Amino acid sequence: MTDEFVLSGVVHAYGAGVRALDGIDLTIGSGQHVAIVGANGSGKSTLLKMLDGLVFCDSGTITAFGRPLTEDALEDPSFRREFRSRVGFVFQDADVQLFCNTVFDELAFGPLQLGLPHDEVRSRVGEVAEALRIDKLLDRAPYMLSGGEKKRVAIASVLTMRPQVLLMDEPTNALDPRSQVWLLGVLAQWKAEGRTVVIATHDLSAAAESCDRMVVLSEEHAVAADGTPDEVLGQRELLLSVNLIHEHEHRHHGSEHMHGHAHGHIHA
Amino acid sequence: MIPVLAHISDTAPRKRGGVRSLARRTADTISGAVREVLENDDLASSPGLMQALDPRVKLVSIVLFAVTASFVHSLAVLVALVLATMVLAAASGVGIGSFARKVWSSAGLFGVLLSAPAATAWITPGAVLVPLGPLSITAPGLLIAARLITRVAAGAGFGLLVVWTTRWTDLLRALGALGVPDLVVATLAMTQKQIMSLLRTVENMHLARESRMLSGGTAKENRGWVVERMAFVARRSMKTADDVYDAMLSRGFAGEMPSLVDLRATARDRIWLAASAAACVLAIGLDRMVLPL
Repeated sequence: MTDEFVLSGVVHAYGAGVRALDGIDLTIGSGQHVAIVGANGSGKSTLLKMLDGLVFCDSGTITAFGRPLTEDALEDPSFRREFRSRVGFVFQDADVQLFCNTVFDELAFGPLQLGLPHDEVRSRVGEVAEALRIDKLLDRAPYMLSGGEKKRVAIASVLTMRPQVLLMDEPTNALDPRSQVWLLGVLAQWKAEGRTVVIATHDLSAAAESCDRMVVLSEEHAVAADGTPDEVLGQRELLLSVNLIHEHEHRHHGSEHMHGHAHGHIHA
Repeated sequence: MIPVLAHISDTAPRKRGGVRSLARRTADTISGAVREVLENDDLASSPGLMQALDPRVKLVSIVLFAVTASFVHSLAVLVALVLATMVLAAASGVGIGSFARKVWSSAGLFGVLLSAPAATAWITPGAVLVPLGPLSITAPGLLIAARLITRVAAGAGFGLLVVWTTRWTDLLRALGALGVPDLVVATLAMTQKQIMSLLRTVENMHLARESRMLSGGTAKENRGWVVERMAFVARRSMKTADDVYDAMLSRGFAGEMPSLVDLRATARDRIWLAASAAACVLAIGLDRMVLPL
């Protein structure tokens, strides 16, 4: 297994020194499915943006596919093209990601930016639209779609670039149960295809179901744990301390119980 | 489909008796605007004369008609052009009443206001039709005003026909195919999307406020709230613009917006274009030779 991303001592701060990431050491290997979990504001989204070369570290280093991932490196057209074709990012807010005139244009945007021949672009659009069952929407304006449809189109717009690595920010957020099940199926398919997937989420249930590794970010914006879902979810005190579960008092059959609760029905 | 800003002034459903709160009025207006955008898309997708045309051909022919209207001086020919817009609207399944209301409540009113001084003896001396001292309405003045009003109405009518019978997405594709730079077309597309998104945000803000209010609030409170929310929307708009730019970068954007425009004109489109050009030549010929009034 080769390493696709290596982060070493990464620190990033916003504005007036507000830290979003603080001393992150992380290696993501090819074909891994990694869930970055943490409470709101722990730095998950910033970390994903960093892996996509959209924000850069203030100190520390990050390499992608063996090359330093810096602003200067992405100024090089050949590296930028290679990097963008290998890494796809599905944003949390599909509305942000869908900026083209029609769904067809949305799916064609990435391949056209890569300079692919028009016939190849059309072929990819048709193939992905059919696979994600959005072929009937190709002529529609993205802002007129439902939430679930938008999410499908957002994912499709990345898949037409055939990325080797998929980054997804809160993929199950705002999805209805049927769309969540569909998305988990898509993630399972990518795992079978050997793609690398990194998702940022606070949905422990979805993370445990779709990933083979879980990285926990603390509220201090550092890595608090890194292991398999079973290893991480077994650490109740850790999950409580990083605010991923909370204690909740129940009354069952006349007696009171204390449970650790998380979204997605994980009981620690 | 018409750009959403064109609907903002439309009236929302009114509550009988009593005064609706600012929050409710604004939310209703926005909701009406968004609903009309969606309805316009349905209209543009329904069968009809103008809908069946290739959007590029439609755009070119309508521009020809609008330019012709600006060259013509004869009131009779201008009136004929205004009638032509209504005939085309009817043939495209557009309600004549709503079409005429939209044209005359905006362009017509604008034309009347603009041309009113020219109708008076103060600006245009001549035979007085309505004696009002220096503001008496004269025959030549009235003719100038009528000419201006019908010209504006004809131009607006043709413009409205395009936007009501063409889906916004097709209109943008037509602009791209006619040589408008891809970056400009993409910016127009994003602007429309952004406006829709912000309108929904503003609507929800007003509804959220109304749900927590027992009265409509004073005018001063309402003004303060609106100003504060405007600032919020402006900040949010800038944040969204940054996020959209990140999303574009993520998919390889490097300053260019190549597109795959695939529009094909048929024999019907070619016939329509030829007929439109002939009609424009005929209108100008009639104007110059037969009906010089």
